[in-house]
Amino acid sequence: MRCLLLIIAFTSLTACYEDSDVTLHQAGSYKGKIDTHSQTAEQREAILAKRFRHVQTDR
Amino acid sequence: MARMKFLCDSERCIECNACVTACKNEHEVPWGVNRRRVVTLDDGVPGEKSISVACMHCSDAPCQAVCPVDCFYTTEDGVVLHNKDMCIGCGYCLYACPFGAPQYPQEGAFGARGKMDKCTFCAGGPEEDHSHEELDKYGRNRLAEGKLPLCAEMCSTKSLLAGDGDMVSELFRNRVVRREGRPDVWGWNTAYKD
Repeated sequence: MRCLLLIIAFTSLTACYEDSDVTLHQAGSYKGKIDTHSQTAEQREAILAKRFRHVQTDR
Repeated sequence: MARMKFLCDSERCIECNACVTACKNEHEVPWGVNRRRVVTLDDGVPGEKSISVACMHCSDAPCQAVCPVDCFYTTEDGVVLHNKDMCIGCGYCLYACPFGAPQYPQEGAFGARGKMDKCTFCAGGPEEDHSHEELDKYGRNRLAEGKLPLCAEMCSTKSLLAGDGDMVSELFRNRVVRREGRPDVWGWNTAYKD
């Protein structure tokens, strides 16, 4: 009897838990995965500026 | 902080479509999707002009404003990117975009459209840099490699420029000064011809 009650309790309570890791939508704000970079914005800016001068200048 | 921008010099574009081909090849863009295309004004008429168009990475992007799930974000470099895991393929961004940049791959039966795809300024997406997930979903991340978008880098006439907006405008301004005038492809004289 006790076993039967346990089984009933487990099956009836399945999926009855609260996921605390919920992302609430907020209009106008991106809440997805954060885009990470290995370099800082300043480092990238300097590298890309050098690249621009190297490949985009007029012939 | 740099703000990455594209600029196409219509006086130099020869409609070779190499930028379109390079983009498709670099990012393995699926059949039917064009992140970049060349538009020709007055095609076949003497004096026709062409420009290469893709996502212009707007400073105040309308696609970002209308997205119901807010899957767009702007990077520190000023590149407008989106998260394909959040995109629901509704198509609002296509209606909002004045350049027709958002593209939708045909997925499954009955022509159902998939998640939106667009030019990433060769900056990948929110996945880890150089990961397989990033390559599969968004294409190569050339910016993380210290390179500029391939479409602009390989443009044979240097018509298509990509880089920090200040540097691009400085370069173009010098060209206009050398030519002694700005092109009349667009502007008041084109919009109000008659």
